[in-house]
Amino acid sequence: MGELRQIAIYGKGGIGKSTTTQNLTAGLCEHGKKVMVVGCDPKADSTRLLLGGLAQKTVLDTIRDEGEDIELDRILKTGFGGTKCVESGGPEPGVGCAGRGIITSINMLENLGAYTDDLDYVFYDVLGDVVCGGFAMPIREGKAKEIYIVASGEMMALYAANNISKGIQRYARTGGVRLGGIICNSRNVDRELDLLRAFAKELGTKLLYFVPRDNIVQHAEINKKTVIEYRPESNQAQEYRNLAQAVIENQDFVIPTPMTQERLEEILMEYGMMELADDYKI
Amino acid sequence: MAKLLDKQHYKCALGAMQTVQAIERALPILHSGPGCAQKLSESTGSSGYFSPNIFPCTSINEKDVVFGGVKKLESTIENALKVIDADLYVVLTGCIPEIVGDDSGEVVSRFEDSEKPVLYAPTAGFKGNNYKGHEQVINAIIEQYLKKSDKKQKGLVNIWADVPYQDLFWLGNLRELEKLVSELGLTPNTIFGYRRGIENIKKIPEAEFNLLVSPWVGLTNVKKMERKFGTPYLHYKTLPIGATETSKFLREVGKFAGVDEAKVEAVVKEHEDYYYYLIERYADLFLENRVINKQFSVVSDAHYALGITKFLANDFGLVPAKQFVVDDTPKNVQEEIAEEFKKLNYGLEAEVAFETDGYKIHNEIRKHDYHGYPLVLGSYYEKEVTEELKGNFLNIAYPVQDKVIIDDSYVGYTGGIRLIENIYTVAVSRFN
Repeated sequence: MGELRQIAIYGKGGIGKSTTTQNLTAGLCEHGKKVMVVGCDPKADSTRLLLGGLAQKTVLDTIRDEGEDIELDRILKTGFGGTKCVESGGPEPGVGCAGRGIITSINMLENLGAYTDDLDYVFYDVLGDVVCGGFAMPIREGKAKEIYIVASGEMMALYAANNISKGIQRYARTGGVRLGGIICNSRNVDRELDLLRAFAKELGTKLLYFVPRDNIVQHAEINKKTVIEYRPESNQAQEYRNLAQAVIENQDFVIPTPMTQERLEEILMEYGMMELADDYKI
Repeated sequence: MAKLLDKQHYKCALGAMQTVQAIERALPILHSGPGCAQKLSESTGSSGYFSPNIFPCTSINEKDVVFGGVKKLESTIENALKVIDADLYVVLTGCIPEIVGDDSGEVVSRFEDSEKPVLYAPTAGFKGNNYKGHEQVINAIIEQYLKKSDKKQKGLVNIWADVPYQDLFWLGNLRELEKLVSELGLTPNTIFGYRRGIENIKKIPEAEFNLLVSPWVGLTNVKKMERKFGTPYLHYKTLPIGATETSKFLREVGKFAGVDEAKVEAVVKEHEDYYYYLIERYADLFLENRVINKQFSVVSDAHYALGITKFLANDFGLVPAKQFVVDDTPKNVQEEIAEEFKKLNYGLEAEVAFETDGYKIHNEIRKHDYHGYPLVLGSYYEKEVTEELKGNFLNIAYPVQDKVIIDDSYVGYTGGIRLIENIYTVAVSRFN
């Protein structure tokens, strides 16, 4: 067993962070790795595919209803392939402070001894936009040192990825956090692979893996399963295994070099996206 | 880089609970952490009706931060209404709920139909100090409780001056201002202190005009009342202390209110005759006392710094050294206030520094040549530095530690005499 790798997954809301993280986790399990997934999103849907449903109680729900004197097994559930699953949870939309909620629940996990020695990986699946300090908790000192950004060839996804890189750069200056690469969750936009490669290069990192679009992912989600569990023989399952392999083998960790809005638009222009929008004809 | 602020002369905006306390039978309800009221309370003289520092409080904790504290706020207000008999309840918010984004205003608005008024004033510390917090409480009263009145009462004047408890002379000062205004044949209306309270608050929209006696605190309030009730205001920037300023004050108020000039002059003459009779009787003491100072500095909020500087230069015959205004005066009014310090008799002008850092102020006092013993009128923080310079010191501004003020006042003709008494008491006790 090697050293524990703590990994935070960021990216634009709706880009497929949770789906990618859970399928990646399933892939790592098949490689015999011990993994814990910590959902850092008030919606608490980061472990649904691993657990086969949303049934579990979140850390913050438990704290609210039962106080802080609880046992770890009240909040930590075992999912597909022996993965440990935790949902931080959060307040109702529009009230309270979800950012503080993440800080509270990660502290709680530490106090309860959730970070056991047998773990190989801990994943933090963080809400789309890092809106305040609380959502940066997983990459603070002593937590995740590796970050992967999930993106696609759509402009807003790249814009968000660039923004997140600014946050990583800030934390990288003082701590050990580094960007491990971009994971493309394909939306089938034109020249997506080339665009993502160019974008990653500009950020000073690499495109770690290109996950193609496949409807089987949707089917697996409806069945509350990862693709690896739902259709282990499918091509898409193999793609996620390959992604897991890429993460295991990855040794390129960098301080990103975020670009200006102008430069980002230049790259988009170069790969034809901006012009295509004008040429659209019925 | 973060700055160290040494010996600040104010508290955070939540300190406005003292403004609420100064309204008879009004109760602060705090939506804050459990320690705020305890840290902020220094309200000597606020025992009696309820408590100097124990109020209904949501005492919010980490759970409330994460999930929001609005439910707790609602139940705290509900229960306060049930068990505490008050005329007015004012919900004051601390930093935590304002950062988290609790919609406290909405919660308070659910009590619109309750038998007693419940108001909401956002007083998070990051919004500013307790001078700002005071304005927020008055704004809450204007915006949420009062309505425009068609009925205007001839000669009724709302007087706004001191920030209660921040200024320990607030009660005496307001009573003296009321007395002066009523001698002009006007009817003063104030909301703080004995037998004022909710009934006087209700009269606010009926006033003919607002009289603001303050360099800057309260200006937003009177402007708001002008917009909402159509009440004009007279902004008199200098706290009138002693004959020169008080006579000027009476003349300006009289002119603004359309009081017959002869009547104003008669009031002025009556007071000045007695004032100078007293001064004359002590002329030998004043002339022959060898330890009275030549130069002075005031270290206080703009209210006292301006009032006392004018008094000591115009009535007392001292020369102003640098004056220090420590109330974190908003930048946009600093120049205007600094101009006021130049309007002294005998061609004198006072230099003024808007400085909140006690350390820097004390160093400037140490460096200045006062041509003899310095006279420093300031907060208790200035006692040590004045003693170090063998000067004469009088504690007139927050924090006040070495005297008890019950209803004493420095306002008006009598207030000027009180200040002379106090300064000379320090001087004559020097070798006695």
